[in-house]
Amino acid sequence: MSHVTVVESWIEAPLRQFVSDAGAELALLLHPSGQVLAQHGFARAVDVMTACALAAGIHASAGELGRQLDGKPFRGLHHVGRTRQIFLAEAVSPRGTYIFLTVFGSESSLGLVRLYFDELVAGLVAAAPADTPQPVAPALAEHFERDLNRNLAALFGRA
Amino acid sequence: MSLVNYATREITCKIVYYGPGRSGKTTNLHYIYGQVPEDRKGKMVSLATQTDRTLFFDFLPLDLGTISGFTTKFQLYTVPGQVYYQTTRKLVLQGADGVVFVADSQARQLDENIESFQDLHANLSEQGIDPRGMPLVVQYNKQDLPAELILPVPELSDAINFRDAPEFSADALHGPGVFETLRGISELVLRRLSASGSAGGAATAGHK
Repeated sequence: MSHVTVVESWIEAPLRQFVSDAGAELALLLHPSGQVLAQHGFARAVDVMTACALAAGIHASAGELGRQLDGKPFRGLHHVGRTRQIFLAEAVSPRGTYIFLTVFGSESSLGLVRLYFDELVAGLVAAAPADTPQPVAPALAEHFERDLNRNLAALFGRA
Repeated sequence: MSLVNYATREITCKIVYYGPGRSGKTTNLHYIYGQVPEDRKGKMVSLATQTDRTLFFDFLPLDLGTISGFTTKFQLYTVPGQVYYQTTRKLVLQGADGVVFVADSQARQLDENIESFQDLHANLSEQGIDPRGMPLVVQYNKQDLPAELILPVPELSDAINFRDAPEFSADALHGPGVFETLRGISELVLRRLSASGSAGGAATAGHK
């Protein structure tokens, strides 16, 4: 069973299905600002953040390039590498417009990925909760400074 | 737009280093990258020109550790400072949780600092964000240069920091002030998160 990590639970089933059906090695669903919503296949959280930042940058610049050249933004991108391919596209759901990035190898194909990407989007549309989640209790304790200071000092070798 | 995942108890915050061209934004990130242990950082990404000027952005992911029981991660971005990269600055600024304004302390760069600070406010406003509500710190970089070339911090503060944001003197090339600046913006961003809950969502905060 594929290992999928999600920030919002409604995303998990459609993404897990996509990874299984399309044979994707890596998959990312992110907000256009570069924040991850779900991922499959990455070992380290910092690598997820990097991939998200670059995917958001590619999406933003490709969109702007499309607007400049064609009057409307490019919504998808496909890149063929030597052993792997990248597919990046916009996924519109009732909760907002997201960016989807997947990496696949020779066991899959662009046709399969596009087919199952459409099913992923349909799955997200069906699974998206109607209501926007309301703020819950504050995430951080009121006095978080001690933890912050300790961690920053450790980061900069000042512990 | 801080991302709070209650299921995995993770917080992810986006911090943007903003300022005029050649003020030292990328240098700040390079210094941080050089100081942080391998297991607490990702690869530093620089989308730059052949002459190492930032073309799109620099990016450095940091694992800050556990704060109030939440694994806390910071995404540090820079924007290209040159005036003609306006569109790119807007894109990178999208979803920022906090801004570090890196000013160039050289006297001849004062107008560029002021123009860039106004540009920051205009771009935030254009995205529907009240600049007064955005966590912000100001760093006066290059304070190591000869005194005849730079303006003293009080003078820079008078000219640039009309919001009275926390401010730091720095020499980003060699390190002084870099840590203090990061600490300053981290505290503001996390304090805001602490005061406002998840700022818009039980799981994913603030998505529009």
